[in-house]
Amino acid sequence: MMARGSRLVLITFACLLLLAAAVIAGVALGETPIPPSVVFQVLANKLFGAGFVLDPIDEGIVWNYRLTRALVAASCGAGLAVSGVVLQALLRNPLADPYLLGISAGASTGAVSVALLGLGAGMLSLSMGAFIGAIAAFSLVALLARAAGGGALKGTGQIILAGIAGSQLFNAMTSFLITKSASAEQARGIMFWLLGNLSGANWHDVALAVPVSLAGVLLVSWHTRALDAFTFGVESAASLGVPVRRVQAALIACTALVTAVMVSIVGSIGFVGLVIPHAARLLVGVRHGRLVPVAALTGAVFLIAADVLSRTVIKGQVLPIGVVTALIGAPAFAVILVRGRWVR
Amino acid sequence: MTTVLQCSALGWAVKGRAIVAHVDLHLQQGETLGLIGPNGSGKSTLLKLLSGIRRPCSGQVQLHGKPLASLSRRDVARQVAFVEQQADTGDAVTVRDAVELGRTPWLSALQPWSSEDQRIVDQALADVDMAQMPERAWSTLSGGERQRVHIARALAQKPQILLLDEPTNHLDIQHQLSILNLVRALPVTTLIALHDLNQALQCDRLGVMERGRLVALGTPAEVLTTERLRDTFGVRGRYLVDPEDGARVLRFQPI
Repeated sequence: MMARGSRLVLITFACLLLLAAAVIAGVALGETPIPPSVVFQVLANKLFGAGFVLDPIDEGIVWNYRLTRALVAASCGAGLAVSGVVLQALLRNPLADPYLLGISAGASTGAVSVALLGLGAGMLSLSMGAFIGAIAAFSLVALLARAAGGGALKGTGQIILAGIAGSQLFNAMTSFLITKSASAEQARGIMFWLLGNLSGANWHDVALAVPVSLAGVLLVSWHTRALDAFTFGVESAASLGVPVRRVQAALIACTALVTAVMVSIVGSIGFVGLVIPHAARLLVGVRHGRLVPVAALTGAVFLIAADVLSRTVIKGQVLPIGVVTALIGAPAFAVILVRGRWVR
Repeated sequence: MTTVLQCSALGWAVKGRAIVAHVDLHLQQGETLGLIGPNGSGKSTLLKLLSGIRRPCSGQVQLHGKPLASLSRRDVARQVAFVEQQADTGDAVTVRDAVELGRTPWLSALQPWSSEDQRIVDQALADVDMAQMPERAWSTLSGGERQRVHIARALAQKPQILLLDEPTNHLDIQHQLSILNLVRALPVTTLIALHDLNQALQCDRLGVMERGRLVALGTPAEVLTTERLRDTFGVRGRYLVDPEDGARVLRFQPI
């Protein structure tokens, strides 16, 4: 039907426009506000060599500091939100969240191992350590779920339980390492990193985060009908012609990879993957053809906004962005819970 | 008679306990085959094996002569629709959303939703008498209404073979009869698990499941004998005749 196709195009277009506006706003706002006109001029200079004469400090702030932050925040928000949508749909559990698979716990352990134990003898960066830890933890969780029968069509509950066990284990290891070997100063730095931190975001991070997030969103968008088919459970999806195991494996691995990359760049930013999918469902309903693009956009805009808040709420100090997302996300989640749109 | 769906030596076990064992069954084109048997006799599992959503531990299912395992899930879903018992969701879907899912095996990125899909969904809603409430939320539907939506979803798949697991459960008597009449009138081959033996009498053929095995197969008159009712179902059954049209009706009493 024509109306559906054109509506989707319209939604996608509106999403991209909104996202661009959010990025510009995210760059313009801050402790020193920069007028949007200057932001545009910097972009024109850098992208097209337009040759506007600008204050080099402003130019540096826009290009090397705030734009990278905004782009990483947007990628991260979109990636986490879409991962949340996928896991909630596939696991048939409204509380599913990308960190449920043990990924953030594993990333923490990995990062802490590098920072405190000197694992990799200086060859590994903090984020590389986090990525390895995240993948290790997810592999453990996936193996445990498989051993418990989670590979079978019915046992989607197993991966959630395995994720909880894995998260507990890796969190305990992180705490053990911090207590055993960290100085107070190191512990504070690690805590800050664990709660999510965009301040180090540079163009290398952008070059990693943007393609990974984009690829994740595209892969999920390709499977929206399959995700819809899970509405009445796994067996129903199978009877509707969905190759259940292949779709589950591909999409869960995709969310794990996207989340691991994001966590390794910015630390673990809570509540985005849990709350944004539900907020997006309130906006456009449960059909994934609309839900996925809208969740990606909402996640991106939300994280840009949270980053602006984290830089501006306390003068002269940057809050960990995870604190901001949790402070907004937890009450928002409570509201959604009370309105109860997704549970009967 | 052409065989559209068949299985041979079909078996499925969980933790060493056989739920379905040594089942041989040929479903003939156009017939309505009823599957009856006490609770736990393996009817649901047999339907899931035949629809391909469970893989057999032994034996093989063939669809139009081809092994089910060699076909893609999508190919199977274009030919076989399965209505399971009491599938539920916590998602805020509408009746129309749920029925539109039936078009899943026919759609892809290259074959987007068309007016033909729309027409098929409208027809499926009309067939189950739900056309007047397409925007109703799933959570507000009664058990019977949900069952009718599931059947509409299966019809929207435009299958040649329809597998139904106790579709008249939870339905009031009017809708029980209308669903059964609808199913019989459809130009498809139907395998239907039933509990009501009087309803089962209306099928073309009946198969009786007992402890995972298919113990009888034939016309209702051949299969539903007083001996069978006593041995498999544990009841005393007697046929009474409706004086108005001469139809035979079963009456049950405890042994």
